[in-house]
Amino acid sequence: MLNTVLLTLSMATPLVLAAMAGYCSERSGVINIGLEGKMLMAACVSALVSVSHGPVLGVLAGILAAVVMSLVHWLATQRFGIDHVISGMSLNAISAGATNFMFTRFSDPDRSGRIGTLPPLFYQACAVIAPVALILYVGKTRGGLWLVASGSDPEKARLAGLQPDRIRLFALVATGLFCGLAGAYLVADTGVFTDNMTAGRGYIALAALILGGWRVGQTALACLAFGFLSSLNLLFQGTQLGGFNLPSEFWTSLPYLATVIALAGFLGKQRTPAGLGKT
Amino acid sequence: MVAFIGMLMLGGISPIEAAQTLISGSLGSPRAISGSLKETTPLLLAGLGVFFALRAGLFNIGIEGQFLLGGFASALVALAVPGPVGLLLAMVAGVVAGALWALPAGWIRAYRNGHEVITTIMLNSVAIALTDFLVAGPVRAANQTGATTATIPTSGRLQALLNSPPWNVNSGLLLGLLLCAAMAWWMKRRVAGYELQAVGANASAAEFAGINVAKVRMNAMLVSGGIGGLGGAIQTLAFEGRFYQGFSPGYGFDSLGVALLAGSNALLVVPMSLLFGVLSKGGTSLLILGVPKGLTNLVAGLVILISATIRYRKAAADA
Repeated sequence: MLNTVLLTLSMATPLVLAAMAGYCSERSGVINIGLEGKMLMAACVSALVSVSHGPVLGVLAGILAAVVMSLVHWLATQRFGIDHVISGMSLNAISAGATNFMFTRFSDPDRSGRIGTLPPLFYQACAVIAPVALILYVGKTRGGLWLVASGSDPEKARLAGLQPDRIRLFALVATGLFCGLAGAYLVADTGVFTDNMTAGRGYIALAALILGGWRVGQTALACLAFGFLSSLNLLFQGTQLGGFNLPSEFWTSLPYLATVIALAGFLGKQRTPAGLGKT
Repeated sequence: MVAFIGMLMLGGISPIEAAQTLISGSLGSPRAISGSLKETTPLLLAGLGVFFALRAGLFNIGIEGQFLLGGFASALVALAVPGPVGLLLAMVAGVVAGALWALPAGWIRAYRNGHEVITTIMLNSVAIALTDFLVAGPVRAANQTGATTATIPTSGRLQALLNSPPWNVNSGLLLGLLLCAAMAWWMKRRVAGYELQAVGANASAAEFAGINVAKVRMNAMLVSGGIGGLGGAIQTLAFEGRFYQGFSPGYGFDSLGVALLAGSNALLVVPMSLLFGVLSKGGTSLLILGVPKGLTNLVAGLVILISATIRYRKAAADA
């Protein structure tokens, strides 16, 4: 029982962090399917820097890498007018390629054992603090109101004297920060960097964000549910459930299927921010 | 290009040597050219699928999933029904499977206003899990240790168009070229083709002009998925001869690049898929030089990002 709870929490941590990253971006009006790539880049950079310069600098470097990727996304979408989806997809491809390249080139093949990292508890604490902080920020401060305004209707926000471009710049920096933490956590949790180690977590976080209707609390709950699903998958792998053996692929597919059903509008009304992807 | 050379230098490989290897590995000999054309075939078909949806203003990222399902379904049918009849049925099965896999995304986009990008991303992951599971369990070949179907006998496969070693070009490529020509003609000369592109250019204007936008979107997604499925079927029937885990090494993503670079002209899908086919074949020979496989991925991503920027700059200059 305790085992399941602990496993669920550790599975949900990167999802919550990445989903909060997606929240900041999408609430400000920037479609972000590049969460996966940012996490992967952060994981790779933090692993490499942790080995050479210690864990604290490793985490900071990971966050910096994700923030830089985020800023490229900002430049591409807000300055160069590139479609948000195209930019996100190419950033994902660039990350997958670059991390594969960097890691095979710069890591030390003779090294074995764990990479020294900050304790996973640090990230888990972040995953608890981040949603609370975001709820307070968006619900109680002027900046939070601006964020939601620029995502709901950038044109009206502009008429009201806001600068959606600038608000999105800050939102995407926050996205990079959370993605950086999520990526660094993956390395802290496993002690190694492996090729494509995010394994779709960025997309699952996006799924949680959609299922949660772009609201912080519900999104975090969806992440917990997905974390619970994957811990069940690990615990019951190969065992019979009531004489019926559910394949692990079924469990991994569930978050994706749930998202498709949610987008079809079968789970309550659509809550996509109105200004998503608009300039 | 600069980034490419920079990365090579960082990796301690001479850029000139790398370029030579890339070109000789992809275009240097009849065998290499045949290999490049083989890589081009799935990219051409999947690229046409993406292109079709793109003209209707839809972003079919789900081509990877449709390609997988198409390849999978065609392998099953070709194994069940032998000979040329089986071959034909297998191709039909591939088209149907691909179209069915695109159906939820098309329906949600057309009638429920949910973003097709998100649904197709999710459906891709489901497609990978589903085919992985089926091919590892229920339909796995009895005498195989790996997760794969049995091998289709040669009589049930697409024959070579030109087979005089070292040359070897499969008729699958010809099918792709014919489809491309047909699509270019259809888009230019048929009312439905015009309507499709009108929806893509400005959906509300098209609606106002009396076009049933939802229906066009739905059909565009189905056709796009069907073409993606056909691509998978041709991959199975022409080259692989079976379906296995890891059937597509990212053709779905590369075909997005193909379609984006082709812009508004269906005929341009051919040279663009050739470009990506050459890159992919040449990338394999770069592996021997010690260049990690991620590099080609990296270059593809950069090419797409940069070309999209250039196109925007041009559009802004015209306005």
